[in-house]
Amino acid sequence: MWAYFKWEFKQFFTNKKNIAVYVILLFLGLYFVLKVAPSYEPIEKVDVAEMEARFTTRDDFIKSVEGKDNIHPSVAFALAVFPQWNEYDRARIDAINEKDYLKYAEATAGWYLYSDQLTVNGDSFFYNPLYYTYGNNYAHADGHYGYGYTASRFTGYVEGSSELSMDLFEERTALQTLQRMLNDYLPIVLFISCILLSVDIVLKDRRNPSLLKGFPISDWKKLLMKGLVAFVGSILSFVPLYVVLIAIGLQNGFGDFSLPVPFYSYIEQNFTNMTMSTFLLKNILFIGVWFLFLIAIILFLSIIVKAEFANLFVSFIIIAAEWFYFERVMGAYSDIERYPTSYVQVGQVISGYRNFVYQSPDLTYQHGLTIIGCCTLFLVILTLIVSKFKRFKLIA
Amino acid sequence: MRSMLKTLFIIERTDKKNIFACLIVALSIIGMVVYANATELGNPIKEKSIESLPAKVAMNKFQIVDASEYGDGSDIYKNIVKQYYTYPKQGMALKTEQPELFIETAIELTELRKQAFEMDDYDLVAVNLPSKIENEMDSYYYQYLKENDLVLSFGSLSFYPFLAFLFSIVGSVWFVLICIYASNIMIDDFRHTSLIKGYPIAFTKYVLAKCMTSMGIVFIFIIELIVCSLPLIYFKGLGQASYPVAVFNGEVTIYPIYKYIAVSIVYMICLAVFAILLSVILNVLLRNVYLTLFVQIILVVIPILFPSLIKLLPFNPFNYVNFPSVLNGDTLNLETPVALNSNAGLVYLCISIVLLMAVIKWFLSTGKLQKI
Repeated sequence: MWAYFKWEFKQFFTNKKNIAVYVILLFLGLYFVLKVAPSYEPIEKVDVAEMEARFTTRDDFIKSVEGKDNIHPSVAFALAVFPQWNEYDRARIDAINEKDYLKYAEATAGWYLYSDQLTVNGDSFFYNPLYYTYGNNYAHADGHYGYGYTASRFTGYVEGSSELSMDLFEERTALQTLQRMLNDYLPIVLFISCILLSVDIVLKDRRNPSLLKGFPISDWKKLLMKGLVAFVGSILSFVPLYVVLIAIGLQNGFGDFSLPVPFYSYIEQNFTNMTMSTFLLKNILFIGVWFLFLIAIILFLSIIVKAEFANLFVSFIIIAAEWFYFERVMGAYSDIERYPTSYVQVGQVISGYRNFVYQSPDLTYQHGLTIIGCCTLFLVILTLIVSKFKRFKLIA
Repeated sequence: MRSMLKTLFIIERTDKKNIFACLIVALSIIGMVVYANATELGNPIKEKSIESLPAKVAMNKFQIVDASEYGDGSDIYKNIVKQYYTYPKQGMALKTEQPELFIETAIELTELRKQAFEMDDYDLVAVNLPSKIENEMDSYYYQYLKENDLVLSFGSLSFYPFLAFLFSIVGSVWFVLICIYASNIMIDDFRHTSLIKGYPIAFTKYVLAKCMTSMGIVFIFIIELIVCSLPLIYFKGLGQASYPVAVFNGEVTIYPIYKYIAVSIVYMICLAVFAILLSVILNVLLRNVYLTLFVQIILVVIPILFPSLIKLLPFNPFNYVNFPSVLNGDTLNLETPVALNSNAGLVYLCISIVLLMAVIKWFLSTGKLQKI
């Protein structure tokens, strides 16, 4: 069995298509480092000009109406809330000028919490204008999420012992970039490369049947070994990621594993922090389980349908399915947490963002692992049973 | 020669790689058509709304003061407030379908931006506003629309504008795609040398035939690009083929869409020939697919990594590999701004192709390939 593993392994890594997949991943990574990462403009930037403008505007306003009688209620409201707000802004501006990053983090966390409290239920203030994009009916909620996320993040910086920097505040360091990408399209890219890597793992044997007929090993064991090789190969698609991480780290610093990653709890409607290492480990585990799921699908289809195109089609449908039925807040009235396809955005599930967009408390990491794991197990057992039938022999 | 071409064509026709590549190209283009149709790509109301957000962010960088003509705000602040308030006007003009008002406000906006470049403290808001070249292209575009009384399209992208958009997207990765496709063009022949020895034809001619069949597949890709976008005619209509596109070739000019598409196709053909010849030569030298690809990608990446090289070597054909960005004048926004001429780029590419051909011919005739 071990010898068969080695044989498959060697074939896997000398397969032109597979090496092309790794090369393309590396190229995408280089493109990301050169073009995408430097042009990242976070909404919650460290922008001194903006803070100063806000501060002076409010300060002038307070000075001009202070002490006057018979003021409009909204002016009175402004007079009640602006001084505290300005205090935070003052502290932020001073901290930046003194390069006292800890003080900046503290004041910023306070500022975001305070702004969010005033904005979320009132109609006097708005979040950062960049949240209010065209056709986004949930801009206010997005702003609430963004402010809460930032406040939680900065609280984490104050409590933690990481070395603070501007790049850290704008989430530009290597590990934070990885975290952002895991919340974005990186899992999809990895899943697609897993599919492309393993799509022909069974069917390639049909090209030279006479060679392989002589192997003294049962079909079921062959399938198991093939699955294992595909899994190892898919895990190795992380390698180009390391190159990207190192390249970004050399530019913007690496960050460290104790950095806070905010986690949104739908039930309590608030943010708590987990460490970067927890977040990454959870992601790796979840992505690993997804790899196994996709490989199990491909193995099963390979012995049933025996067409590469069917493998590609079905597994791409699995990945894209959420896109077809996705609608915001649909979790409130449907059971999306029961479909494995709802968990395809791995990073977003782990950070709680999916709970937020679906408005459903059940779309959790544990739940996802259980569902995907069960599906995988079911498929593997099904494959085992089917492979015992003569009709579905690997090599006809 | 003809029989050689015929043989190669039969081989290539049944090659799984080609079928797969054609399928993937077709699928991705249909995907883009669906995407363009579903997201109302090019819907001007949406675009203007997206454009107005950075102006709002820029405005937030200033203390709110009197922005009227004799108010005490700074010049740049007044300018940005004016800029920001042209967007609602434009949105209104679009919703009530008044092309004259729309074009007028658009020209007003480009004028305002032009003034802003000269003002103090412009650096503060530079990241939020379009660059000089983008503004100039906008300015030319709207001036052209005004002078020629063209009918403004208020809907999202129809067929011709979509084609222009598609070519600009595909064009930016075209060279790399062809490199990946052609990277193993000669490798198989080194593996089975006895096969080649049997052909009753000179090796140079064999190489030529091989390149020609590869180019045939490339033409199929280009035709696929056009054919697979046809469904958009059903959804969004044909659009105007003579609608203007602002491009940069040394200076800002206006191309009609059909000219833009034609230039793109010529560029794509030249780049494909260049990529195939480069693959042949690197295959001969390195005898490894991955090394070939690696060297090609390095050659593409170097000018991106070191922009100062572009100014130093404007005739380097790899500067023009991403031709949509050359046509957009993106090289003027680099740290070391340089005005690349897209027409000159074509000439440089052609010269490089001729040089490569000469090198290949020399290689094949001086016995560098005796082993075959």
